[in-house]
Amino acid sequence: MRLTIRTLCLAIATLAVSFSMGFSSPTQTQIYDARSGKWVSYDPSQAREYFQRYGQTPEEFQRRIVPFRTAEKPGTIVIDADRHFLYYILPDFQAIRYGIGVGREGFGWAGIVHVGRKAEWPTWTPPKDMIERDPRLTKYANGMPGGIDNPLGARALYLYEKNRDSLYRIHGTNEPWTIGLNLSSGCIRMNNDDVIDLYNRVTRGAKVIVLMTGASLFKGV
Amino acid sequence: MIRFGSVVAVAIGLVVSLAAAGQTVSARADEIVIGVPSWSSANATAHVLETILEDRFGVDVALKETSNAEIFAGMDDGSIQIHPEVWLPNYKALHDEYVLRRKSVVMSPRGVPASQGLCVTQTTYDDDGIHTIQDLADPEKAKVFDTNGDGRGEIWIGAPGWNSTKVEQIRAHDYGYDKTMQLLQAEETVGLAAVDAAVATGKPMAFYCYEPHHVFELHDLVYLDEPAHDPRKWQIVDPEADGDWLEKSKAGVAWPPSFLHIFYAKALEDSHPEIASFLKSVNLDVDTVSQMTYALVVERRDPAEFAREWVDGHGERISGWIEDAE
Repeated sequence: MRLTIRTLCLAIATLAVSFSMGFSSPTQTQIYDARSGKWVSYDPSQAREYFQRYGQTPEEFQRRIVPFRTAEKPGTIVIDADRHFLYYILPDFQAIRYGIGVGREGFGWAGIVHVGRKAEWPTWTPPKDMIERDPRLTKYANGMPGGIDNPLGARALYLYEKNRDSLYRIHGTNEPWTIGLNLSSGCIRMNNDDVIDLYNRVTRGAKVIVLMTGASLFKGV
Repeated sequence: MIRFGSVVAVAIGLVVSLAAAGQTVSARADEIVIGVPSWSSANATAHVLETILEDRFGVDVALKETSNAEIFAGMDDGSIQIHPEVWLPNYKALHDEYVLRRKSVVMSPRGVPASQGLCVTQTTYDDDGIHTIQDLADPEKAKVFDTNGDGRGEIWIGAPGWNSTKVEQIRAHDYGYDKTMQLLQAEETVGLAAVDAAVATGKPMAFYCYEPHHVFELHDLVYLDEPAHDPRKWQIVDPEADGDWLEKSKAGVAWPPSFLHIFYAKALEDSHPEIASFLKSVNLDVDTVSQMTYALVVERRDPAEFAREWVDGHGERISGWIEDAE
């Protein structure tokens, strides 16, 4: 299962690189809109146009402090893939709510993990089979340096189960128009500003609760 | 469900290994070991009992975090003396095995009345028109809980390994909402954080609930209505005893009246008869257990400090229990 997810996660990262290089987007892609309860077509060019027009993600997904009554202690992260929100728990029943882009099949799983590692401008390394399929990635065989074109964005939080890397990450993105959508496989994507904000708050070892949603939230890639 | 199942298995493994690694009990002749199962109200009661036994009876007490079944096995083999909170009828099978058949464990007669069933948030009740458990079996109504576009809702029915989770599977089957709802199992932390997030966004949410529990202090919740308990309509077949348990079981009515009881090792009546008598006299109530749980879980009070404060503040009540025992 993990290998599959890892492949998916990195496959979407490759997709992101492809977008940034100006390659064509997938067709017939649909995402599940939890509010309307309907599958809707995803058109990356429209999402990108919206972002370019307004210079930011839709208001609902912008960072804000919200009431959040919970028994979880401050510093805990709660990921609600269904509504595309990540909560960072504050004292006094408040939380910082960030908009996120989540993976196909939601997060694909639910459970409790923790932040095992943090990285600034993380390196992304495409797996061998991906390079074989797309020789243009050969130059990144030893790792694509962190930077504005890197699909992992400005920061990455590596999620661990006990002492083992789960291969899931909370990371930035070079495609901010995908926030609020299900487009990144098993990983959680945030605007670079947001992931930097979260990175500066969260400590290593912080508890991360990934909520259950149903199964597929994304289809057609 | 395969993915959820495997992740849950990992999560449960984590809990078990932490419990095993985190608590080491030294073996002293006069030591009383209180087993502590995974739910929060039992943890609160365990710390309060620990403080009372040390204060009033002068014994060394250790707490051992472990599973419900292990606590019963420990009371049977002498490695654990007290279970602070056994839910009945949920663990009737363990009661029957150790109390009735093996006669190695004793049930304190004074139970705390408890409740369990399915809850929705107040907004789900008011705005989405979900009032009864039968509503969940209505395909149109169940759709409000759909998070994945398959036309069925999703509902957390408890943690894997809980006896109640098996019963909730039976209830879903009997009521018929196993066809309209996807039944999700995960650790309680995940299930309850989902309730927190649902309240924060006004998202419809239905889930297995029980009290005393701090979640009722955190959120406005409503039990879904259902027919009153009827023993003739309540037949729980153990999955380990019969592979066809789901089809052979029935539970399409409310849970029977539930109670929390202290259990203790029968051997305690010989080694510490005054403690055994005291345990029979302890008389807690729903509000007390709920408040203790809220203090530990939501306010994150240190359990030992909280227990010290509670015991100091309820000296007369505790003395009353001890006098009753005498």
